[in-house]
Amino acid sequence: MMEDVLSSLTGVAAAEPEPRTAARAWTFRLPGWEGALFILALLGLWQGVTTWVRLPNPALFPSVGVTLKALASSLPELLKGTWSSFLILVPGYFSAVVLGILWGLLVGTTGWLHRAFFPFARAASPVPPTVYIPYAIALLPTFRLSAIFVVFVGAFWPIFLNTAAGAASMPTRHRDNARLLGMSHGSYLRRVVFRAALPHIFSGMGVGLALSFILLTVAELFGANAGLGRFVQYYADFADYPRMAAGILYTGLVTLLSMGLLERFKRRALFWVR
Amino acid sequence: MSRTAIEPAPDAPGFQLEDVSFAYGDQVVLQGINLSIRAGEFLCLLGQSGSGKTTLQRLLAGLEMPSRGRVSWAGAPVTGPGIERGMVFQDYSLYPWMTLAENIGLALERSDPSLSKAARRDRASEYLNAVGLVGTARKYPFELSGGMQQRAAIARTLALSSSALLMDEPFGALDPVNRARLQDLLTAIWREATPRRTVVFVTHDVEEALFLGDRVVVLGSAPGRVIGEVAVPFPRPRRRQELFASQAFHQLSETISDHYHSDVLEHMDDAWTLWGSREGI
Repeated sequence: MMEDVLSSLTGVAAAEPEPRTAARAWTFRLPGWEGALFILALLGLWQGVTTWVRLPNPALFPSVGVTLKALASSLPELLKGTWSSFLILVPGYFSAVVLGILWGLLVGTTGWLHRAFFPFARAASPVPPTVYIPYAIALLPTFRLSAIFVVFVGAFWPIFLNTAAGAASMPTRHRDNARLLGMSHGSYLRRVVFRAALPHIFSGMGVGLALSFILLTVAELFGANAGLGRFVQYYADFADYPRMAAGILYTGLVTLLSMGLLERFKRRALFWVR
Repeated sequence: MSRTAIEPAPDAPGFQLEDVSFAYGDQVVLQGINLSIRAGEFLCLLGQSGSGKTTLQRLLAGLEMPSRGRVSWAGAPVTGPGIERGMVFQDYSLYPWMTLAENIGLALERSDPSLSKAARRDRASEYLNAVGLVGTARKYPFELSGGMQQRAAIARTLALSSSALLMDEPFGALDPVNRARLQDLLTAIWREATPRRTVVFVTHDVEEALFLGDRVVVLGSAPGRVIGEVAVPFPRPRRRQELFASQAFHQLSETISDHYHSDVLEHMDDAWTLWGSREGI
């Protein structure tokens, strides 16, 4: 019956202005030519300095070629180290993601919880997590657990703080609509606040991931017997600078790839943000 | 068709506001509002910004509670939002991360919890068709024009089966052509249902209020209060061209505008004196 009355209007809607189409086609972005040029220039500078400049201690500065050769020959060891590092990084980082988001959503939407927890968060979050390393090693049964704990603490704060900020700064309209639709609180947190806070959550996850890599390598300097940070430390101790440089280069590459993966995931998840 | 059959009983309980005031801290937004809105009535609330017309609307929705006085709907006091009172805002009525079908599905989950997921999707499409949005169930709001988004927001309140539609400047951000189309759509939806829905439509546009409403209530500002009320005498269906050309429409719109603008000007003078005295310091 309603359709009868309104059928005349149906054609009208189709004549409305062409809607914007979703730009959901995305690709992994390689650095543009400017970026590539800069990296090439940097490599050239490196090579130039090691070839033509009389350095006081040439052993400290391996040339590009030597470093790449060292990288190739230690690749199996580096891959094993990556695996070992990821056994710390993945549990630490992902538990921080899960708990940081859950707690952030609750604190960001609950007035009394916000008032109770935020003063503490403000005091605790700026403490560099590296200061916990000696304690963690003393208190927890294994090195791996203490390293996981340190990575967790480091990644937790930026994720929690961003999630809570995102939840608190959500347009009030979203909340009004949830109330008008009679949504349950759980449904509201999951389907509204979480999605609205997602842009903030992702920036927290980005900062958290970068911090995780830093903390991971720092923690490994303390007592690991394998891993990326351990690799660099180990060959530095033996003054094998080509391998050390190769380890730094490789760690940078792994970090870059992980961040790229997160970025890709973010773009897909935030398709509705223009 | 007997028109009297679908006319609401004059004393059918719709919204009742008794001596309602609302304040944020010590800033009084609304003062001493007495207003009754019949069930099935199409009421337009006309006011400039700062007249508290949006706040009044939020009180009806149950999104705010009055500082003083009573708001009731269908004879019972309003204690919070309820699905029998649907609302459409000027913007952000839909969740941007959900398709239109999912947005409308949220309303259906409440109004008809027994529906299966597939049935919900079908019903959502039906409601979208009813507002002239064919084949858009899987689109996201950002893929649609503003006019289409407002159509979908209206579809959502229909899916809630709300008997009252609260509309807060719903067409304020649209171009004139889309605005006219949506006014026609809303009128059609309202005239269609038996019994008729109660519509409370907030606007600052005198002509829009006269074209749509059975009654126009004019709000003054600082603090918001009722400064006038007009029963709109034009028979329905109203045809925009004829109406806008008629002498009666012109006169009525002029009268309301004068009334409305004298309040606006009065407050502009206040603002000027404030500036003047400040400059003198």
